[in-house]
Parts: sequence; structure tokens; C-alpha cells
Amino acid sequence: MTRYAIVLDTRRCIGCHSCTVACRTHNNLPLDIIYNPVFTNGPTGVFPNIHTSYMPMICMHCANPPCVSCCPTGASIQQEDGIVWVDENKCIGCKACVMACPYGARTPSPHTGIVVKCDFCADRLAEGKEPFCVQTCHQRARIFGDLDDPKSEVHKLVNTEPVITLLPELGTEPHAFYILD
Amino acid sequence: MINKHYWGWPVAGYLFLGGLGGGMAVVSTAADLFWGKGDIFALGNFIASVIIGIGSGLLVFELGKPFRFWRVFSTQKAVMTVGAWLLGLLIITSTVYFSFWLSFLPWSNWILIRQLLAGFNLLLGVGVITYTGVLLGSMKARPFWSSPALPILFAVSGLSTGLAAQSLLAGLWPYQATQTSFEQIYGFLHKLDTGLIVFELLIVMIYVLMMRAYAGKEAEMITAKLLTGAYALPFWGGLIVLGLLIPLALYFIGGSAATLLAPWCVLIGGVFLRFLIVYSDPRKMLPGETMYKERLPKGNEAFLESWK
Repeated sequence: MTRYAIVLDTRRCIGCHSCTVACRTHNNLPLDIIYNPVFTNGPTGVFPNIHTSYMPMICMHCANPPCVSCCPTGASIQQEDGIVWVDENKCIGCKACVMACPYGARTPSPHTGIVVKCDFCADRLAEGKEPFCVQTCHQRARIFGDLDDPKSEVHKLVNTEPVITLLPELGTEPHAFYILD
Repeated sequence: MINKHYWGWPVAGYLFLGGLGGGMAVVSTAADLFWGKGDIFALGNFIASVIIGIGSGLLVFELGKPFRFWRVFSTQKAVMTVGAWLLGLLIITSTVYFSFWLSFLPWSNWILIRQLLAGFNLLLGVGVITYTGVLLGSMKARPFWSSPALPILFAVSGLSTGLAAQSLLAGLWPYQATQTSFEQIYGFLHKLDTGLIVFELLIVMIYVLMMRAYAGKEAEMITAKLLTGAYALPFWGGLIVLGLLIPLALYFIGGSAATLLAPWCVLIGGVFLRFLIVYSDPRKMLPGETMYKERLPKGNEAFLESWK
């Protein structure tokens, strides 16, 4: 079985926002919709020992996605490979999933009326390529792959590095894993 | 972008109207089944249908794709799907049940079928006043909503507003019996509503205090907003004083003030409650998210559009 996951290595992220730009380019997003922002965390500490880190975001493609179970029309779908996506022909724009997502990964598009989100560039995956934000990241801070494949880099990182997930207390079982520094 | 209210006034208005309509259906069908006075509250069933219809219209208006609203009548197990079926059914069956009270219709003396339908509508009404709270209460992403107490609060408020509306409509057409004095009936309704208001007051107090004490930083900030911040006037003035304490005092005084004025206060309190809850929706911000969103351009809508 394939289970797509992404590892976000904040030790490597330099906060250049290339992934945000790449995503916008590939998915042809309007200027007011961002799937994968890069948050600046800090500076923390007391001068001169201050530190800033960057949190590259993306849809967590949760194993237990609250945005799928709340969808009244079945437009919000979780595939067997873990990808959570929105069927634009079924979405009615009720925004229940936007309210249910703890990570702000979904945006109701003011242009089309439906809810849009990251789908791990499913069109590129079908061609055997990586998501465009992953390919663009020149620091290799975004590592994408099949978590169920023991030879994949994400499998090795998740099982050897001290990875965390965001808001694990909500029971969403995110499949975006962070390596903090 | 920060704390943008993706669900705005149409949803708050719907939550009020849905709770009101569901509560009215519960009150009139329960009066038919357990009190033998369904005839007095007959008109309320039709008004409930209209009110739920208007509320559902608000929901459709709020959709990003309003003309696809029929897709909610799916086989999904989502709370919203269940709610859509409950609303759609109750709009129809409540009007059908009302028709049993119109003496010129041939089926107006089919008592058993009317009572079966009353039981069915009672269940639907309970479902409607409950599911709205479940819908919001199951959103774990929203700290101020995520609580089993929210459905209880909405259900009690729905019943209370439904009772208030029914006491305003009691004895109107098509009720035709000779009874001229409603003092006894009003007295009972007012006692019932007094109990519900006291209960609602308790739930609101406990809800806010518990959100302040245990539900994390975001919920604590929202309670501060409600108790002393930007929402303090609608919370204290609108909900607590106008919506709960004044009707309590009016019911205590009795007379025509209790009959005519108190129910309107209860209804207004129901509106304030739904708006306060719906607008208390902030998500727990992730590290750095607030600063990022503060830096995004604001007021550049013309600029954004000119790129097309």
C-alpha cells in the first residue's frame, strides 16, 4: 500500500517562500489563496542569544481528517493513498470543512465558490513526479514519499528522527511530520 | 485573513430560526400528545414550517454554490447531511400536521393518524434543535465550540424560544373552541419557560466559566472578549439582561407584561446567543501564523482584481 506523507525539516528551511511561489505557479492560484505559507516563528530568546525558525506549512493529509467526516455531500475525499482532496463538482461551498480543519489548510475560494486545498499535486504524482513545492525546495527541507515503503526517505526520517506533528491532541493523525531544531 | 468569520450572519440567523422552528414543533406536538391541547397551538406548526424554511433559505444563501444545495441530501453520515434531512422533512410534515387542524379538510378527524404524525414531528423537532449544537460542538478545531455543553445550550435555547413563540401564537386561528380565558394556559407556559430560562442562565454561566478555566488560551481570550471586551455589550446587555433576566422578571411580575413582552425578550435573547456563539469561532493559531497573516496585504482588493 502507498501512504503518501511529507517531512518538513525546519533545520533546513531558510524561510525563502519558494514553495509558496511554486505552489501558486503550478496550481494557478489567485493572489489571495495560499496553500502552503511559511510561518516565521520567533525571534525567541533574549538578545544576543536569539533564534528564529521557519514553519513551512501544507495540508497535513491527516489519517483521521475532520474535514472529510463533516462534508455533507461527499465532495471532501480521502484516498486510499492518504491524499485528501475536494471534488469540485460535488462541493457546494458550505464551509463546514473550513471550520473543521485545525490547520487552516482549506480556503473557500471567493472566485469559484468552492473550497480549495492542497492535493499533494496529484496530477504530478500520476506522472511519477514529486509535488511542485517539494521539487522547488532548494534546501531539501521538504521531503515527500511513500511512508509505507521502507526504502523511502520519509520512512527513514519518520522512524529515525524525533519528528513531531502539529496539534496531535486533536486526534487528526497528521501525515506532515516536522523535524524541529 | 486573521480570524476571518467564514460562517457569518446567515449561519447565526439560521441557527436561531432552526432552533426556534424546531422548538415550536416540539412544543405544539408535545401539547397535543401529552396535554391534550394541540388545538391551541395548531397555527404554530405552520409558522414553524415557514420559520425553518426561511432559516434553510439563509443557509442556502450562505453557500458558495447555492444552486447545488440539493447535494446535501446525500447518503453521507455527516452531521450536516442528517440536519438537512431533518429540516427538509420537518418543513413538510409540520405543514401536513397543521392541516389536520383545519376543520374543512376531510382528514381533520383522523385523530390517530394526527397523533402518529405528532409523535414523528416531535422526534424531528428534537433532532433539529439538537443537531445544530452537535454540528458546532463537534468542530474540534474551534476551541470555544468544541464542547458537549453546546448542544445542550442550543437545545434549551431552542425549546425556550419555541415556547415563547408558541405562547404568542396560542389560541389564534384555526382554534375555534369557546374557551375565552387563557390565563391558566399562559400561567403554565410561563412557569415552563421560567424553568428553561433559569436552566439556560446556568448553562451559559457554567459554559463561559469552564471555557475560561480549562479550554486553553484561545477559549480564554474569547471569554475575556465576551465578559469584558468587544462582545461585552451584546453578551451582558443582549443575552444576559435583555434575553434572560428581563423575561424572568416579567414572568415573575405576571400580567400582560409577561404575556406580551417577555416572549419577545426571549426571542431576542435567542438571536444574541446564536450570534455570540457563531462569532466566537477563532481557531488555535499555529506558531508564527498570526504574524504571517498580519503581514499579508490588506485593502488591496482592487489591485487583486486588476490582474485579471
